[in-house]
Amino acid sequence: MTSRILASGAAAAVLALGVTACGSDSSDDTTTGGSSSAGGATIASKFIFGGAAEFKTRGDGLDGLKRNYGVEFGKFRVTDTGGPVTVNALKNGQVDAANVFSTDPAIKANGFVILADPKSNFAAQNVVPIITKSKASDGVKTTLDGISAKLTTAGLSDLVSKVQVDKEDPDAVAKGWLSQNGLSSAGTAAKGVKLTVGSANFPENVVLAEIYAEALKAQGASIKTKLNIGSREKYYPALKSGSLDLFPEYSGTILTYLDKKATASKPDDVYTALQAALPSNLTALNKSDAQDSDTVVVTKATADKFGLKTIADLAKPAE
Amino acid sequence: MTVLADSTSSSPLHFAQYFLDHSSEDLRLLWSHTWLSVVPVVIGLLIALPLGWTARRYRWTYPPIISITGLLYTIPSIALFVMVPPLLGLDTLDPLQVPIALTVYSVALLVRVVADGLASVPEDTVQAATALGFRPVERFFKVELPIAVPVIAAGLRVAVVSNVSIVAVAGTIGLSNLGQLFTQGFQLSTPDAYYPPIVLGIVLCVLLAVVLDLAVVGLNRLLTPWRRAVPS
Repeated sequence: MTSRILASGAAAAVLALGVTACGSDSSDDTTTGGSSSAGGATIASKFIFGGAAEFKTRGDGLDGLKRNYGVEFGKFRVTDTGGPVTVNALKNGQVDAANVFSTDPAIKANGFVILADPKSNFAAQNVVPIITKSKASDGVKTTLDGISAKLTTAGLSDLVSKVQVDKEDPDAVAKGWLSQNGLSSAGTAAKGVKLTVGSANFPENVVLAEIYAEALKAQGASIKTKLNIGSREKYYPALKSGSLDLFPEYSGTILTYLDKKATASKPDDVYTALQAALPSNLTALNKSDAQDSDTVVVTKATADKFGLKTIADLAKPAE
Repeated sequence: MTVLADSTSSSPLHFAQYFLDHSSEDLRLLWSHTWLSVVPVVIGLLIALPLGWTARRYRWTYPPIISITGLLYTIPSIALFVMVPPLLGLDTLDPLQVPIALTVYSVALLVRVVADGLASVPEDTVQAATALGFRPVERFFKVELPIAVPVIAAGLRVAVVSNVSIVAVAGTIGLSNLGQLFTQGFQLSTPDAYYPPIVLGIVLCVLLAVVLDLAVVGLNRLLTPWRRAVPS
């Protein structure tokens, strides 16, 4: 908690936690004041929020929104992890705000509005390969670092949109991206290495895993893939026990998964904290600039109606 | 690969095109779906035979054996898939967790069938066999079991077809089978519904169930030649 970048910011956040917590628990406590929910109902209290079940318990989930912005939603509805259920629930008005990932083409397609996160409640989410240490030979490292160096947030959105909107095959999209970025040339850098590459079950993660797999194959590694594995609870133990060797991860989420109390939020801090939090048999290779962050989104109509621009606006009193 | 406008259509009728575009992957899923459906029934039958025999031989064991194994069938499949690896100390991605869970269901369905099948053997037949000098074990395998085959086969048809549908559930936790086609179609269903992989999954599951069902029927005919020789 005290490892935030700005010491004063940290103090304020800690203080706010105490204040808003008692303010919301006992309605007759009028000494809280401040900009948050002191008097009357907030906009958020009239909202139903949609997100994955883990959003309830994650440090940067509902707790983080309350701690950082004093935002408490009236109701939480469990949807999926930024997938079709969440998007459709928001689109059809079953939820008023939702946790969606920034690279999701559905945001643009539906004209959703991403609420700004000035206090960095959501940590940096750089795409980073997590690999079994013993398999990270120099050749494997160079190959994967080459990928991370070329991967950008815009490029990532583009990949997702090819798979999700244009329905292209993830492996074809992966090969296309590698050759576009001059990374598809055959070599022997990873010769003799045997790796099992895994991915979670959403299109972006599958494409990333395919990119790693195809690039390493081109460098002579013998690759097995286990794609579309369900949640992190399912695949992380496999990664830890060595039945998976390589996985495209997101620095912020994997960090908070490993260390519930982690508070780092800037890309470099998150990365450093992640290296420290990983078990000794795993390591994070160079992170890429590409980020796929958690966001809070609302529909355009909702944003206009309540004048919402940042997450903090949700804590304003409703009219 | 160039993507033809045709193959990206989200119309349910484009499942065939989707299959052609991804045939090697889809056939791989079909193959693992097939063995995942069949192997547990075979193992389940091997476990159900002694249990069913016990329930038949010692009548007082019939109610507890049948109700306990029957209850197993009510455990939700997803719970079983998730619980099997930690309980047995398997890796969370071990493909064995699915056949183990499905074996539980097959046993649940087959114990009653085996017991009832053995009960369907006419008492006269058993006595005649004993009179002819068959010892109990020999009599069981050479007389009672063959005569019980039609009843057991009826149960096997139910077990194998229900397995085809339960296996698909394991697709949602990342195990390779036709269920993954449903996850895929669902994941690609933003911004608009995308049906081809989902419809393809249904079509392949139904075809697989029909083929396996016919296989059991064929096996039943093969094992009971007397039924064709002497029309009853």
